[in-house]
Amino acid sequence: MNWKSHAPVFALFVSALAPNASAEGIDFNREVRPILSQNCFACHGPDAHDRKAGLRLDEREAAVELRDGVRAIDVERPEESEVLLRIFSEDADDVMPPPKSHKTLSASDKAILKQWIEEGAPYADHWAFVPVERPALPEVEKTYADWTHNVIDRFVLERLQAEGMKPSSAADRATWFRRVTFDLTGLPPAPADVADQVASTHPNADERALDRLLASPRYGERMAVAWMDAARYGDSSVMHADGNRDMWPWRDWLIDAYNTNKPFDDFTVEQLAGDLLPDPTVEQQIASGFNRNHATSDEGGAIPEELRVEYVVDRVKTTANVWLALSMECGQCHDHKYDPISQQDYYAFFAYFNNTTDPGMQTRNGNQAPLVRIFSEAQESQLAAVRKEIQTVETQLKEENPPEEEVDAWARKVLDGARQEPPVLGAWSSIGPFKGKAYEEAWKHDFGLEKEKTRRGRKAYGGLKWSKAKPEWKDNTVHVLAQGDGEVTYLGREIETEKETKGSLMLGSDDAIKVWLDGKLIHENKAQRGAARDQDQVEVTLKPGKHWLLVKVVNASGPSGFAFRWASQAYPEKVLELVKREAQESVEAQRKELISHYKGLAWPRGRELERHLRQAKDSEKALVNAAPTSMIMEDRPKEPRMTYILDRGQYDQPKKDQAISPDVPAALPRLPDSYPQNRLGLAQWLTMPEHPLTARVAVNRYWAMLFGTGIVKTVGDFGNQGEWPSHPELLDWLARDFVDFDWDVKWLVRQLLSSATYGQSSAHDTNTAESDPENRLLSRAPRFRLQGEFIRDQALAVSGLLVEQQGGPGVKPYQPENIWNEVSLNGGLRYRRDDGDKLYRRSLYTYWKRSAPMPNMVIFDSPSREKCALERPRTNTPLQALVTLNDPQFVEAARLLAERLLEDERSAQDRISRGYQLVTGRPATDEEARSLGAWIAEQEQLFKKAPERAQELLKVGDYPASDEHAPETLASWTLLAQLLLNLDETLTRN
Amino acid sequence: MQSFDHYVDQLTRRKFLLSTGHGMGAAALSSLFQAPAANGATRSNVGLPNFPHTAGKAKRAIYLFFSGGPSHIDTFDYKPELRKIHGIELPDSIRNGQRLTGMTSGQSSFPCVAPMFDFQRHGQHGTWVSELLPHTASIADNITIVKSMNTEAINHDPAITFINTGVQQPGKPSMGAWLSYGLGSETENMPAYVVMISRGRGQLQALYDRLWGSGFLPSRHQGVKLRSAGEPVLFLNNPPGVDRPMRRSMLDQLAKLNGESFARFSDPETQTRISQYEMAFRMQMAVPDIMDISKESEHTKKLYGPDVEKPGSFARNCLLARRMAEEGVRFIQLFHRGWDQHGDLPRRLRWQCEDIDQACAGLVKDLKERGMFDETLVICGGEFGRTIYSQGKLTEDSHGRDHHGRCFSTWLAGGGIKEGFEYGKTDDFCYNITENPVHIRDLNATILNQLGIDHEKLTFRYQGLDERLTGVEEARVVKEILA
Repeated sequence: MNWKSHAPVFALFVSALAPNASAEGIDFNREVRPILSQNCFACHGPDAHDRKAGLRLDEREAAVELRDGVRAIDVERPEESEVLLRIFSEDADDVMPPPKSHKTLSASDKAILKQWIEEGAPYADHWAFVPVERPALPEVEKTYADWTHNVIDRFVLERLQAEGMKPSSAADRATWFRRVTFDLTGLPPAPADVADQVASTHPNADERALDRLLASPRYGERMAVAWMDAARYGDSSVMHADGNRDMWPWRDWLIDAYNTNKPFDDFTVEQLAGDLLPDPTVEQQIASGFNRNHATSDEGGAIPEELRVEYVVDRVKTTANVWLALSMECGQCHDHKYDPISQQDYYAFFAYFNNTTDPGMQTRNGNQAPLVRIFSEAQESQLAAVRKEIQTVETQLKEENPPEEEVDAWARKVLDGARQEPPVLGAWSSIGPFKGKAYEEAWKHDFGLEKEKTRRGRKAYGGLKWSKAKPEWKDNTVHVLAQGDGEVTYLGREIETEKETKGSLMLGSDDAIKVWLDGKLIHENKAQRGAARDQDQVEVTLKPGKHWLLVKVVNASGPSGFAFRWASQAYPEKVLELVKREAQESVEAQRKELISHYKGLAWPRGRELERHLRQAKDSEKALVNAAPTSMIMEDRPKEPRMTYILDRGQYDQPKKDQAISPDVPAALPRLPDSYPQNRLGLAQWLTMPEHPLTARVAVNRYWAMLFGTGIVKTVGDFGNQGEWPSHPELLDWLARDFVDFDWDVKWLVRQLLSSATYGQSSAHDTNTAESDPENRLLSRAPRFRLQGEFIRDQALAVSGLLVEQQGGPGVKPYQPENIWNEVSLNGGLRYRRDDGDKLYRRSLYTYWKRSAPMPNMVIFDSPSREKCALERPRTNTPLQALVTLNDPQFVEAARLLAERLLEDERSAQDRISRGYQLVTGRPATDEEARSLGAWIAEQEQLFKKAPERAQELLKVGDYPASDEHAPETLASWTLLAQLLLNLDETLTRN
Repeated sequence: MQSFDHYVDQLTRRKFLLSTGHGMGAAALSSLFQAPAANGATRSNVGLPNFPHTAGKAKRAIYLFFSGGPSHIDTFDYKPELRKIHGIELPDSIRNGQRLTGMTSGQSSFPCVAPMFDFQRHGQHGTWVSELLPHTASIADNITIVKSMNTEAINHDPAITFINTGVQQPGKPSMGAWLSYGLGSETENMPAYVVMISRGRGQLQALYDRLWGSGFLPSRHQGVKLRSAGEPVLFLNNPPGVDRPMRRSMLDQLAKLNGESFARFSDPETQTRISQYEMAFRMQMAVPDIMDISKESEHTKKLYGPDVEKPGSFARNCLLARRMAEEGVRFIQLFHRGWDQHGDLPRRLRWQCEDIDQACAGLVKDLKERGMFDETLVICGGEFGRTIYSQGKLTEDSHGRDHHGRCFSTWLAGGGIKEGFEYGKTDDFCYNITENPVHIRDLNATILNQLGIDHEKLTFRYQGLDERLTGVEEARVVKEILA
């Protein structure tokens, strides 16, 4: 790349943020560190393994050391410094960075390094790793005394003035109010509220508006979205089948945490270690699900340990990215190239998350344990009632006893039954496998022989016939059935008896089983299991004669098989044993056991109680199963899993010579001895008031959310490769304040929004477009496109369609057809659209399937949430235009917005103006209203000429169209509403 | 003097580059000063400055991706010696303790299976090709078959994510997104990266949006799915009842009002928005035009085979790929599903090959006939190969094969690739590579190279790291297969 030709412009661009070498002396952290990190550290930095020539430049001591007669940095004789000789070298073999690295130093970079070495090469600790001090407040000139609202403005102003710039005028009140309403609730303000706000003469009107909005339950919904990106929240498991999971209780916890203003330290501790708190509440356990949100797999051929390690790796990455803004993940395979994180540090951090009970191979259907069940109050009282009932019946069962003689009579009957001749069992034959469409189908489908009362050897069933007799299929043994997933095999045999015979069919199967006797279904068990003997018992009474026994085995997946034997009595064998022993000699304990069997098996009163108990237990189970669950973290109660360094990060290459204990990175403050050496200790360490990173990182992220860009632009990287803060003292002041005010998020947000900096006009000033094109110095308020969720929610809100119900499982609004099954495993999984209210919920409740996420959100830069995402790009593309113009969700919303505009008797221009108020917060100008009025009239004429087209347009969406208006009128106003929803001002936070 | 619009456009581009919020390779910065496109029109996706690095042989690429793991043994990697090992137990010396998937690791026996198909040598080069691929055999002298492809992944999700995004876990941009980011678009009417999916007849393994996703790159670089049913591009059609003139008139009103918005706020994003709505309007014309194959000659359609008449078929998608290549789409990726033959392989693999054979060859021939072959790189392959040993029972006429990442075959053609060439060798068991291994990273580096990109320079700064498609491990351009 040829920098020379661009050098002047480059200098111009950087002028605002990183002054060139100057008389003031070089600031190591701001000016030198980024150059060294970007160009030198990869080979001469923290990574000991790949370090070239044994030289490291990230520590002064090593850099100035005499090695083989040369010093990399020679402060006595700067011109002799090897660093300078190399960077100014014209020789391709000598020059640093070497051409192969594709890195080049600009002339200005070289000048900075030269001056820095001449000044004695002072180093400083990396700014983000030093404790947060409260910096002194800048003085403000009198002229601006009125401009500043709070301390934020003083820092911003100081910087602007230093650059010879000045702040913009304040935004008009309507614009400001729409801005804060979106920023605090993710929704537009109602026109009446705008009018009240604009008209208010209260001296603290703005502050009161902020308080009102912060108290709105919408606040939590708005704040949750960004955290859901960071927490890689989804309603599906991501890998392979990407099946459903239910983590929405965690999402609802999150919304609630924001709404109740849970302090950020508790917010942190509960999400990282809620399960390890003493006697954790259900909510705290749910919160710990933060680190269960990651992708999991169910792929048949996968190696569970490989997956399990991947999950831990993801937890380390996410936790470090979110709380520390460090790319700790690099340490998985080698020492970090830029930051002081060794591979040892990495695995010590890894150890905190390596002791959990969740397995590598997880389910594709629902939640994988460990999990917590969540009962509503009503459910809890129902459950208590049922459990009480169970207790009562159990007591009755225990205390009520049958008369002794009844027991004896029964015992004799059991013995008689056992003396019966067993029936004559013919050899098995089989037919199959039949290929069902899938397991469910196969289970239900009759392949033609289920109702038959005899074997029909000549008949073909779907091309298949009965096999020859198979005497090798002995009873009381498990036999393998060769059949694939979703396939069915039938087994049949004749049974003959001379006298009426009672007994049991003892069955085993892999997987589901159905049994017919003489064409009558006598047993079914939709099990998914491996086959073993005596899994099911079916009592039968055989009349004298021949019978036809038919067994259907349905294979869900994997191997398949069955087992069978005849048991000559209708009672379990152990009962028979007992009766026999009792007949020989009566012993008290034995007698008691016999009585209890009689009570359960034959005594009418006992059976009634048993039935009652079963019913109660069934309802208990049903109640428990009806309660939603949420996946949580849980550590192994005994024997912690050992952690070792994994060679090159490979799951199967542990370096077993040294076990690694959980610990925090050596370059950061030590873990206090009093803290537990587990996730709870880690979470407490992160939220120590003196922690250098947690508060800075969190404050910066909230700043970025509300100002569009962070004070540190690289919100996910506070390491050496991160960008120098635009306002370092301001960041520190806010971070200190955040901690000192008990990590109060609402307080922080309120401070940011009540600043004059935030309240400026967002109009661009051509003077600063060149010197500060990114507006990093904030000489105006940032102006940016709303995020996808807000754009959709706004359309729903202004049309009156929005259904504001908080929480609950994800909903499935309009989505084009085949989005899921086009990619899903075997094409089987289809999106089943919801209807009614669920079409109009806020977008954060939309079901988030991570292998095929909602297109109208992804097009607006929503991340797939397969991995932690700390910020979203903000693109501007044609596909976005197609969404807001053509997506039925938006077309329907436009129609409802049109109806709303047509509601009262008004002039067309007034209606248009009201439309503007709804979508932009301001009335239309006369010119806008006039020109749009004329345009609508034209469209109305067009629709009048082609009424069928008006009808078609009005049919879009489930919500019925009003019949109060002529179709051409409503259709033309629908077009207007579409136009309003696509205005630049509508899509933008002004 | 440059027009005001030009100034705005530059400003917009700069703002876009700088405001993505992720930081950028310093390289991106100088794109502000890049000359506008040669035709005088400014392009909205211009790629990075100084890209391509070299005048690449290829201007675009078409990737025919077979999802599920096509068997290299039964298609290209043939040697007569295979016949001798049929039925024998896989020697431990060959397996060498390598890990197997959980689907066969429990098998007590690993009987080797020779292909249950005939093989003949084809073309001047004498390339062995299976009877399953008679049409592909007819282009043997136009393609390079790499028989020594390899990957560490042995299961679908990680393997397909690996080959398409460079990493086994989700989260990184796809190759097409990287290309869109690096090279930009050559057309203002179509996205730079288009994806088409067709179903095969075997077991359909899942696909994932991440395979064509933009990862941490801006979403404008994600692959746009072109679909055979419903709207060809999501949300492309106007709502029912709204025709094109009506939409035009609405967009004119909108542009006027948004222009006033620009006058008030001077926000270059507003101007960009106006132009993006115009591009959407153009796409509404361009996409249906591309999808409409009625003007293709019978001769051309014949090249692709009878399935070309079926919308959504692989053959139709191949023809559409050529049409998009003509339109200037940078990267066109076809996914054909159903190559996962754990059982019943002889029958099911035949079906799959029937789906794709003529169309693959037809595409190559069509590109040749139109003089587009040299500037269009065609890649054809899957995420891994299959095992020499049978999964499940080996019978006289049936068997299955499990996943195998140690070696597999991929062919490349056009775009500066040698014609009638084979590269890399495997052992007698088609199990291990004996000569010239090509890791999937090497393949990706080679694809970028042919498009004029040094894979080490196509970087994006994300959370402190200069990310790239080929990752941090060594990747090599396979020079030996270049013409």
